[in-house]
Amino acid sequence: MTREILNIENLFVEYSNIRGKVKAVRGVNLKLYKGENLALIGESGSGKTTLGTAIIRLLPSSGYIKDGRIVYKGNGNEYDISKFSEKELRQFRWKEIAMVFQSALNSFNPVLKVWDQIYDTARAHGISNRNFVKERAISLLRYVQLDPERVINSYPHELSGGMRQRVLIAMSLLLEPKILILDEPTTALDILTQRNIIELLRTIKADMGLSMIFISHDLSLAAELADRVAVMYAGAIVELGSVEDIFYRPKHPYTLGLIKAVPTVTAGFRELYSIPGSPPDLINLTPGCKFAPRCEYKNSVCEKDEPMLVEVGQDHFVACFRHKEIGNGR
Amino acid sequence: MSRVKKILSNYIFLRAVRAILTVFIVATLTFFIIRLMPGNPIEIYIGQLMSQYGMSFQDAKNQAAALFSIDLNAPLSKQYVIYMRNLLRGDFGVSFLSQGTPVALMISAYLPWTIFSVGISILISFTLGITLGMLAAYKRGSIFDHIMSTIAAILSAIPNYLIGILLLIIIGVQLGLIPVSAMRGTVSPGIKPGFTWIFIKDIFSRALLPIMTYVVSTIGGWTLSMKSSTLNTLGEDYVTVAKARGLPESRITFAYVGRNALLPLFTSLTMQMGFLMGGSALIESIFVYKGIGWALGASIAQRDYPVMQAVFLIITIAVIVANFIADLLYSKLDPRIKIGGE
Repeated sequence: MTREILNIENLFVEYSNIRGKVKAVRGVNLKLYKGENLALIGESGSGKTTLGTAIIRLLPSSGYIKDGRIVYKGNGNEYDISKFSEKELRQFRWKEIAMVFQSALNSFNPVLKVWDQIYDTARAHGISNRNFVKERAISLLRYVQLDPERVINSYPHELSGGMRQRVLIAMSLLLEPKILILDEPTTALDILTQRNIIELLRTIKADMGLSMIFISHDLSLAAELADRVAVMYAGAIVELGSVEDIFYRPKHPYTLGLIKAVPTVTAGFRELYSIPGSPPDLINLTPGCKFAPRCEYKNSVCEKDEPMLVEVGQDHFVACFRHKEIGNGR
Repeated sequence: MSRVKKILSNYIFLRAVRAILTVFIVATLTFFIIRLMPGNPIEIYIGQLMSQYGMSFQDAKNQAAALFSIDLNAPLSKQYVIYMRNLLRGDFGVSFLSQGTPVALMISAYLPWTIFSVGISILISFTLGITLGMLAAYKRGSIFDHIMSTIAAILSAIPNYLIGILLLIIIGVQLGLIPVSAMRGTVSPGIKPGFTWIFIKDIFSRALLPIMTYVVSTIGGWTLSMKSSTLNTLGEDYVTVAKARGLPESRITFAYVGRNALLPLFTSLTMQMGFLMGGSALIESIFVYKGIGWALGASIAQRDYPVMQAVFLIITIAVIVANFIADLLYSKLDPRIKIGGE
């Protein structure tokens, strides 16, 4: 039985700056089901990180939710996260939805030991029994394959980048959240450490029934870890489907371009593809499909109207007028 | 062997060697530089003896030499060797001005007042400055921030002796809030030192204007540095992560933002100590507050070489000691800094 745990309804997020309003997320509808892994992919500036941070309302001070709802279903109730007060947010964060950030190196306060930061987190959520927290922390650190006794008494700078990312992942599991958001969890790490973190995340996925949202530009990570993939472009979801649909039967020219742009060791540089042009200006958006200027399939309709997501297969949605012509010849 | 090596590479040992070297260099430089200054106290004194008592030049010179316990015919290099030899024994010599008074005794009478007034000022100024700076950073772009930052920039641009004179004129003369002329010196006559309310009240009221001057002239700098340091820290990822972890705002403000924002200011704190001690010469002279700065001012006016040398040396030692303490404390505050790289 698949039950939805998070329902993002018609979400708009904007940043205001001197030039105007940056429309970073535009009308996103997205459901997250219990126990599933959802990957949000797209290039830099596509709004994927904004969407991720908007879920726990941790947008930078210039950012705000313009419209829409973020409904969290847990403990037999429904909560609209976008209506939470600061106090409710504080209790909600990490307890229900935890987030692992890209910057493993800077995620920890440099002047506090790992233990103090773990205990800080527990205490913030009303758990102040030191022995209980310590036992839990030690078992989690062991679970992420670290030497608990050593790590727990270390300062962050005494740990490597990969170790810090493991500590943060262990800490994210501390309060047994229902949802874990991982924003580029492997980007700052070297290739072997990336491998280890991916293995760890697979173990977590197998062991624990939590739902995960991966935010990444790395398609291989999405292919390995995700059940479903949402492809974002210019603040909107342009394609959404199972991992097989997205990688084997992509229906949006942007998805297709992303897949073709992934270098493989065997192919060499011979056929390395890149999508021409650059992402649109999110302040002055042109009418029509936002991808049209870079799209080789575009026609006059594409430049006039913006396509909506339509179902093209079971649970496979795409926002493209010409999806019928795409992907068949791959 | 390895033990000797260990001591030689020991951080504190190296610091001590460097400190001694610095003191030696400063002692040497001050010795020669102040002797290059125009005017010679002994000649003035000899002239006085000759004109007042009708002594012959030779008699006056002999008497002066006996009084000043300095061989005036000795070449500079020999005087220097004697001075250094005495210094090694901890003998600062005898004041020219207050004849027969050992300089060490004068220093011990003046120095505590400067440490007291400068120390209290730094404490007040630092505490207030970092609080205001942090508030300004948290309320960035607000009216409070604009007003605070403007005032802070103006205050930090005005030299402290000017602020001292302004305070003297406004508070002392125009408003007449403080009887300035009665407030000369460090302690009222007849009040016995001790932990009594009368004594503490008295020394604070007499140090009030110098303390105000130091505070007003340094608070702007602290506010601005803390504001920019806090703004930098607020942008750090670990602050965002702390929010994501649901930590209470107070915990984030103090243990995550405050503590990290303070670190870079810590080095300047000790520099300030030395800076203010050196700068106290002007302020203490303005308010006739008899601390080491006032003694320096007075001794320069009279070319009282031994006192000048001693005061310069004391200020140097104060800066060295303050820096050393700062380094030790810094390594306690920031775990990333390990002393001696063990």
